[in-house]
Amino acid sequence: MTAVLDDPVERTSPAPPAKAAKLSAGARAERRLGWLLCAPAVLIMLAVTAYPIGYALYLSVQRYDLRFPSEAKFVGLSNYGAVLSSPYWWDAFENTMIIAVVSVAIELVLGMALAIVMHRTIFGRGLVRTSILIPYGIVTVVGAFSWQYAWTPGTGYLSGLLGGAVPLTDRWQAIAVIILAEVWKTTPFMALLLLAGLALVSEDLQKAAKVDGASGWQRFRYVTLPLMKPAILVALLFRSLDAFRIFDNIFVLTSGGHNTGSVSILGYDNLFTALNLGIGSAISVLIFICVAVIGLLFIKGFGAAAPGSDLRD
Amino acid sequence: MPDRALRVRNPLPVVAVVVIGLLLAACGGGAASSATPTINLYIYPDGSGAVQQAIDTCNAASGGRYQISYQTLPTGADGQRQQLVRRLAAHDSSMDVLALDVTWAPEFAQAGWILEWTGANQTQATTGTLQGPLATATYNGKLYAAPFNSNTQLLWYRSDLVPTPPTTWAEMINMSTALAQQGKPHYIEIQGNQYEGITVWFNSLLASAGGSVLTPDGSAPSLGAPAITALTTMQQLATSVAADPSLSVQMENDNRLAMESGTAAFELNYPFVYPSMKADKPDLFQNFKWAPWPAVTAGQPAHVTIGGINLAVSAYSKHSDLAFEAALCLRNRDNQLVGAIKGGVPPSLSDLYTDPTLIAAYPFAAEIQASLATAAVRPLTPAYQNLSIAISHAVSPPSSINPQSAESTMASELKDALASKGLVP
Amino acid sequence: MAVTARQKAGWATANTVVVALALVPVLWILSLSFKDPTTIGDGSFWPKQWTLQNYRGIFKTSEFTRALVNSIGIALISTFVAVLFASMAAYAVARLRFPGKNVLIGMSLLIAMFPAISLVTPLFNIERTLGLFDTWAGLIIPYVTFGLPLAIYTLSAFFREIPWELEKAAKMDGASPFQAFTKVIAPLAAPGMFTTAILVFILCWNDFLFAISLTSTTRARTVPAAIGFFTGDSQFTAPTGSIAAASVIITIPIIVFVLLFQRKIVAGLTSGAVKG
Repeated sequence: MTAVLDDPVERTSPAPPAKAAKLSAGARAERRLGWLLCAPAVLIMLAVTAYPIGYALYLSVQRYDLRFPSEAKFVGLSNYGAVLSSPYWWDAFENTMIIAVVSVAIELVLGMALAIVMHRTIFGRGLVRTSILIPYGIVTVVGAFSWQYAWTPGTGYLSGLLGGAVPLTDRWQAIAVIILAEVWKTTPFMALLLLAGLALVSEDLQKAAKVDGASGWQRFRYVTLPLMKPAILVALLFRSLDAFRIFDNIFVLTSGGHNTGSVSILGYDNLFTALNLGIGSAISVLIFICVAVIGLLFIKGFGAAAPGSDLRD
Repeated sequence: MPDRALRVRNPLPVVAVVVIGLLLAACGGGAASSATPTINLYIYPDGSGAVQQAIDTCNAASGGRYQISYQTLPTGADGQRQQLVRRLAAHDSSMDVLALDVTWAPEFAQAGWILEWTGANQTQATTGTLQGPLATATYNGKLYAAPFNSNTQLLWYRSDLVPTPPTTWAEMINMSTALAQQGKPHYIEIQGNQYEGITVWFNSLLASAGGSVLTPDGSAPSLGAPAITALTTMQQLATSVAADPSLSVQMENDNRLAMESGTAAFELNYPFVYPSMKADKPDLFQNFKWAPWPAVTAGQPAHVTIGGINLAVSAYSKHSDLAFEAALCLRNRDNQLVGAIKGGVPPSLSDLYTDPTLIAAYPFAAEIQASLATAAVRPLTPAYQNLSIAISHAVSPPSSINPQSAESTMASELKDALASKGLVP
Repeated sequence: MAVTARQKAGWATANTVVVALALVPVLWILSLSFKDPTTIGDGSFWPKQWTLQNYRGIFKTSEFTRALVNSIGIALISTFVAVLFASMAAYAVARLRFPGKNVLIGMSLLIAMFPAISLVTPLFNIERTLGLFDTWAGLIIPYVTFGLPLAIYTLSAFFREIPWELEKAAKMDGASPFQAFTKVIAPLAAPGMFTTAILVFILCWNDFLFAISLTSTTRARTVPAAIGFFTGDSQFTAPTGSIAAASVIITIPIIVFVLLFQRKIVAGLTSGAVKG
């Protein structure tokens, strides 16, 4: 395995003109090795998802209500038209965007703070780090139950906080509760990824900046943050992809009632409750397109690098 | 330079072995026994043991011709429906007898997932069965399930606060207001969360006002003036002092807890609250009484929406004859009596309501039977789930109902739902 | 550099705030699990009447224990397989040149992005046909598939940061290839592997949708799905106490897992190969 890695330096410089069209034996072997190593992952991913994704796409262009199976027929893009012209879709989209943007923003700030605490706290390290990771490890529906009971009047300890109203039935209060549940649950995920980025910032640079008279905040803003950019972007990318598809917390807290549903809840209701496979699949594909747009935005727009993409082919 | 890259073992054979190994492990599931056919009963989990007892009795009585196996479904009705629908849509042949909620029969029948009950089976299933439960198992004039157990709401009240129970909703709200002025517990407990329970409340009020959700042939919404009356009643209660502050998140269990905590004077709920009050609050239990559901219009008795479970036979079952037989045994007189006493679910056979054993456990047996005899059913249509969502969204939260606009919104949403057009929220 | 009392106090406060915020909801569930069912609705944070009834209840039948065993076994196996496959792919992506790399990354992201709700029913159909429905393999295979994108991405990022030249340097210092790998590269790769392992484990542990759709008996049902089968005293009574007790029990392995691995991860992440 080490034969192909003998010369990392040569790799980054342009190939000399002598090795023009034909690949050397070494490069060919490297290619084969690359494909072989990727094979198990690729095979299992393809085998499991090719048919389901294909089937979902196929269903989205059918009018197919499971209760009337004999009436299934091809309808082209009319399902998409029905979804995009429905106020329910746009309400759900609005809810989803608000919840996703606000919760990711809060998680970024909190996650950074937690990463710093995990990195630099001078005592009680084990306790702090374990405590931070526990919310992430709790089963999502369990965490959601905890919040639901806490906010239920009578049963819960938080219910009196907002002046006796019933938070879970007021749209904006319920959305705030949902965001709280999301943030509590997934900030550790951000913190972990940010910690990895934080740890790569060299101590020497920090010391040098200190010697030059930079304050703690300035050091953070001008030394740490720029060096953490790749880690921040990867954390944001994955977190945003997930935030847009939020489901579990909303399902347990409000079941999407009182106009708090996300696009995933809408898809679930139409697919499983109304048994309208055509519409439900169209919603899923639209969710996928939105998520793909978000992903592209991060990768192309902000430069969240796909790892290994800087290695020339 | 020797190509030491190839020292890495080709991972493909390893992967293949792992995958095949997993597949083999999976296929280790038991081979089908050809001796005694197993009838798989898919039913809710029953902690009381009544269902298991029925199964054991029927297995003993089958004379070795079949063995019923208890396959649990999730506790909640939605979870049960999902599991059943997923597997029926895949033509799963391992399901035989299915326990359906009373609103599912038309949907499952339309999709071709359950078998019609004909001939002797039909006679046995219908003889002695109460009208309300039977109506929920019938679609397009055909019988698609055998009623198993039933359920209906009564008005529960505290006789120390309320000497004579109210007979109409308006009266009840007035009584509650009077109690409030005296500073006494006065809430009227009812299910106001945005879920099936509020649809049931609306349906009961609507039927009691003389209306119905759909036209008799089930093709269009009916609503109209009775619906406005029903909506007005809901809105009046929700905005009066009688309303529990948590009305908009309350379900049956929350109502029970509130009543037991002593803050309420009235409760519209299922009989499960009776043994619970007896066990939890013996002092309050002394004054815990029941009465029929209040009417909407004086002099016209209320029509209360019934709940319950029906037993159907899967269209993909490999032993459908035996499945019919097993289902009939499971819902026979003795097993329904056990279910009522041990399991706390009212039976669907009418003569059980005069059985002394039942009355001993159900002092309110007569009121339940009367209620079941005049019961309202939820719309019998394959599109029921869509209808229910449309209704529950239109009436939630009850305090914000504008009767006129809610009625017209509901009418148009119901029209779309019947045509399975558009999205559900 | 001496630590001042002010710094100590500052960190103590920070620590306390962090721990409290993280653990209050957990303590709330703990408290609910010890509350007597008749006092569940009383609204106080700590139980006024303590009882072990809820715990006894969930262990009365073997259903919950089976679900625990299923959860742990399935999650561990899925994590192992996913990290194994992902390490191989991530190594290739981070270190080797071959065409189709971006296709791989793109495909993994696509799979990570597609809503699972519409994949559940086709997956169910496939598994039923193959006889994988309601088996451990029936859950392991989807979990591995959906854990791979995150694992590949995370591991590639980690592997890219490892200074592979150190291996060469070690060999020039006289180490054998095996020694160079285990003593130099492996410790550098370990934090990334453990981090990825935790992320994948939690992904499998948390999953509800596949668990409820691809299982039907205690043979393969995991804990999140099993909670949906808890019953209360009657048809309408919510089994709050049982759910709370079950939640506490299933959190314990996570706490153990995290306690064991947090040291390895964080220590590895923060030691950094580039220092000095």
